[in-house]
Amino acid sequence: MKDERTVGGTGVASAGRARPGWWLMFSREMADLWMGGKALNLVLVFSILLGLVAFVLATNSELSLIPPKEMVFEMVRLSLAASGFICLIIGADSLSGERERATLEGLLLTPASRRQLVIGKFLAAVSPWPAALAISLPYWVLLAQGDEAFAQAALWGSLLGTLVIPALAAIGMLVSYWSNTNRTSMFVSLGIYLVILVPTQLPGSAQAGSIGQLLKKVSPMEATYHFLEKIIVNNRTVNELTAFLFAPIVLAVVTIGGLVWYSAPRLRLEAGRVGQRKARGVGGVTALLLSLVLAGSGAPPANAQPTQIAGQPLDISIDMEFAVVNAGDPVMFNTAISNTSDDRSQPLIVAMNIINLDSQGDVVDPEDWSPQRTQYVGPMVPGQSVDLSWRVNAILDGDYMVYMVLIPEPNGLQATSRPIASSGIHLTVEPFTRLNPGGVLPIVIAIPTLLMAGVGFVMWRQRRRINQEDTE
Amino acid sequence: MVNNDAVGEASDRSIPQSEVLLADDLRKAYGNRPALRGLSFTLQSGRVLGFLGPNGAGKTTAIRILTTILEPDTGSFFVDGVGSDHPERIRRRIGVLPESLGLPRYATALEFLTFFGGLYGLAAGAARSNALVLLQEVGLRKRAKNLIGSYSRGMRQRLGIARSLVNDPAVVFLDEPTLGLDPRGQQDLLELVQRIARERNVGVVLCSHALAEVESICDDVVILSSGHVVAKGSVADVIRQARGNVNQETAVRLQVPAEQLVKAHKLLEALPFVAAVSPQIDRPGWLRVDLDSEPERASDHGNGVLSSLIGASIPIVSFETQGGRLGDVFLQLTEGLGG
Repeated sequence: MKDERTVGGTGVASAGRARPGWWLMFSREMADLWMGGKALNLVLVFSILLGLVAFVLATNSELSLIPPKEMVFEMVRLSLAASGFICLIIGADSLSGERERATLEGLLLTPASRRQLVIGKFLAAVSPWPAALAISLPYWVLLAQGDEAFAQAALWGSLLGTLVIPALAAIGMLVSYWSNTNRTSMFVSLGIYLVILVPTQLPGSAQAGSIGQLLKKVSPMEATYHFLEKIIVNNRTVNELTAFLFAPIVLAVVTIGGLVWYSAPRLRLEAGRVGQRKARGVGGVTALLLSLVLAGSGAPPANAQPTQIAGQPLDISIDMEFAVVNAGDPVMFNTAISNTSDDRSQPLIVAMNIINLDSQGDVVDPEDWSPQRTQYVGPMVPGQSVDLSWRVNAILDGDYMVYMVLIPEPNGLQATSRPIASSGIHLTVEPFTRLNPGGVLPIVIAIPTLLMAGVGFVMWRQRRRINQEDTE
Repeated sequence: MVNNDAVGEASDRSIPQSEVLLADDLRKAYGNRPALRGLSFTLQSGRVLGFLGPNGAGKTTAIRILTTILEPDTGSFFVDGVGSDHPERIRRRIGVLPESLGLPRYATALEFLTFFGGLYGLAAGAARSNALVLLQEVGLRKRAKNLIGSYSRGMRQRLGIARSLVNDPAVVFLDEPTLGLDPRGQQDLLELVQRIARERNVGVVLCSHALAEVESICDDVVILSSGHVVAKGSVADVIRQARGNVNQETAVRLQVPAEQLVKAHKLLEALPFVAAVSPQIDRPGWLRVDLDSEPERASDHGNGVLSSLIGASIPIVSFETQGGRLGDVFLQLTEGLGG
C-alpha cells in the first residue's frame, strides 16, 4: 500500500497551502467564461442593447415624451432583465454542459466536495452581473441628467439585482442539474424565465384588484420592478414598499439554498431517469411556487389611508404664491397651521392637491409628484402654530395649482368637520432639460468598442497560445 | 510528500500489500435489468489487467463502480486497502482516463493539470511543478503552454493519462485509451501505459476492444459477458484454460506471400487430413486450414501442413493454431452471449 507518495512519483513537494475547491472551480470557470469569450461576448451584446435603448430613450426625451426618472427606471429594468438572462443561460450550461462535454466525470472523480464544485460554478455564473452593473451605471447617470433618481437607481437597482440575478443563475443551475443535455436545460430555463417575466407584462387592468396586487407581490420580477418604479419614479419611501421585497428575497433564498444545500451534494454523472427527474423537478418548482405564494400572502397589506372628517376654527397658509421651474426640479415650500380658536383642536391631517390648469382642471396624482401627500399634526392648543415642510417634484411640464387642505379629525362617529383650503401655489413647469441624443452617442459607442477591444485581445491571446512552445 | 489519505488514517491492511485492487462479488442492476452479476477479481501493483467484454457486457458499469461514480447494489471492493464505503478516500487513490475524455479547449495543458493538482490538495506551486513533470513524462512538455483545443487526438489521450496520474494513484483505470489513434499512436500509447505500470508500480486496468493490444501488454485479463465473469487470470492461463475447454484445436492459420497464396491453397486442399482451406477475409495473405482429424492427432496434422508447404518451397510468413490467441478465446467465450 502506498501510504505516502511523492507527487507524480518525482519527489515534487507540496509546499504552501492548498486552495479550497470552490476557489479553484471558480477560477477555472472564470477563465473559461471570460477568456473563452462566452461571457465577454454576452456582455458585449448587452452593452450594445443598452446603448441602443439609451439612444432611443434620449430621442424620446428630445421629443418630451418621457421624463428622466422614467428613463432611468426603464434602463434599470432592462439592465436587470438582460443581466438576469445572461446569468440564467450561463447557469443553465454549467452542469449539463459539463455532462455534454464529458468533463463532469473528471471533476466527480476528484476528492473535492461536490458542494464546493457547485459553489465555484455558481459564483462564476453570477460574475456577469457586476460587469453588467458597471456597464449600466454610465447609462443611468447620463439619462438621469443630474436627477437624484440616479442615486436611488444605483442603490436599489444594485441591491435588488444582487438578489434576483443570482436567483436566476441558481434556477439555471438547478435545471442544468436535472438535465443531461444543454438543449433541455436551456429550453426549460428559458421557459421558467418567461413564466417569471409574464406578470411584468400584464396590462394595468390585470394588476388592479386584490388578485392583481397579490400577483404583484408574489411575482419576484414584478415585485422588483414595482418596488424600483415607485422608489425611482414616484418618490415613494422604502417603508411603504416593504411588502414588495419579500418575493425577491424568498426567491433568492429558496433557489440558492436549494442549489447549494440540496442539489450540490447529490450531483451525479447522469441526471437520472426521466421519471425521477420529472418528479423531482415538479416537486422543486411546486415548492418554489408555494414558498412564493406563502411569502406573498404573509406580506403586510399596502398602507391604507384612513379618511375621517371633523371641524374646528383653524387656519393654514403657504409661504409661496407661484414658482416657475423646469421639469425634474424640486419645489420646496412650507405651510403654517394655526389654531385661532380658544379650544384645543382635534388631530389634523394636511393633504396636498395638484390640479392641472392646462387640461380643464384634471387632478394630478400627487403620489407621482411628492413623497408627502399628507402630513399628520397632533391636537393643537389655542394659539399654537405648526410649520410643515413640503416637497414637490415637477414631473411633467405644464401649468398647475398646488394647494393644501387641512382636515380636522371628526370628533365622533356621528360628527363631521369642515376642511379648510389654503391659498394655492401657481406652479409653472417648463419642459425639462432635453437630452441631446447626440450627447449619448459617445458612451453608446465607447463602451461596446472597449468591450470589442477586450474580445479582440482575448482572441489574439488564444491564437498566440495555440502554437507557443514552452521554453522553460 | 503527499499523503493520499486526506485524514491521515492508517490504511486497512487486511489485504496483501501488493494487492492494489480487490473486487468482491459486485452486483448492479438498472431496474429489473442486471448489468453486473458477481464481479470478483484482484489486481497486483505493477501489473496491467485487461478488462474485456462485448458491448453491454457490464464493463462501463464495473469501471464506474470501481471509480466510485456508481454504487454497487451488493458486494464491495478495496483500492489500496481502502474499502468502498469510503469513496472520497478511494478517489484519492485512483486515476481515471474515461472513454469520453472531455478537455477544456481554452486552457493549456499546464493549466489543466495544475487545476486538477489543486483539487487533489496540492498548493499552487507544487501543482504546477507536478504538472510539468507529468507533461515531461507523457511527452507533452514542449506543448505545455498551448491551448488544449489545438491538440491532436493522440496528444489529448496522453494528456488524459497525465491527468490520471496527477495524484500519484495506486490504481489507474484506462478506458479505451487507443480509440481513434493511428497505429503509431496506439503503439506509443501502449508503451507509455506499460512503462507507467512498471516504473510507478501502479496497477493498471485497461478496458479495450482491441484484443491484440490487450494481449500484447496485459499481464492479467478479466472477460465479462452479460454481466458475468466468463474468464479471469493471467493472459496465458486464460488462453490455456479456453483451449482446454475444447480439448484440442482442429484448425490452424497461416500466412504466405500473396503471390504464393493460390499455390498454397491448392496444395493444402489436396492433403488427405485437410477438410477445408479458406482465405481470411479480414487478414489478407492468411489462410485458415480446417483439419479432418481427431483432436489428439491435430498437432501431427498441423506439422504435416507445415512440412507440405516447406516441401513445395512456399515460404511461411506466420503460423498459429486456432484458439491460440486471446481474440479466439474472447470470441469462443462470448459466443451467443449478447451484450
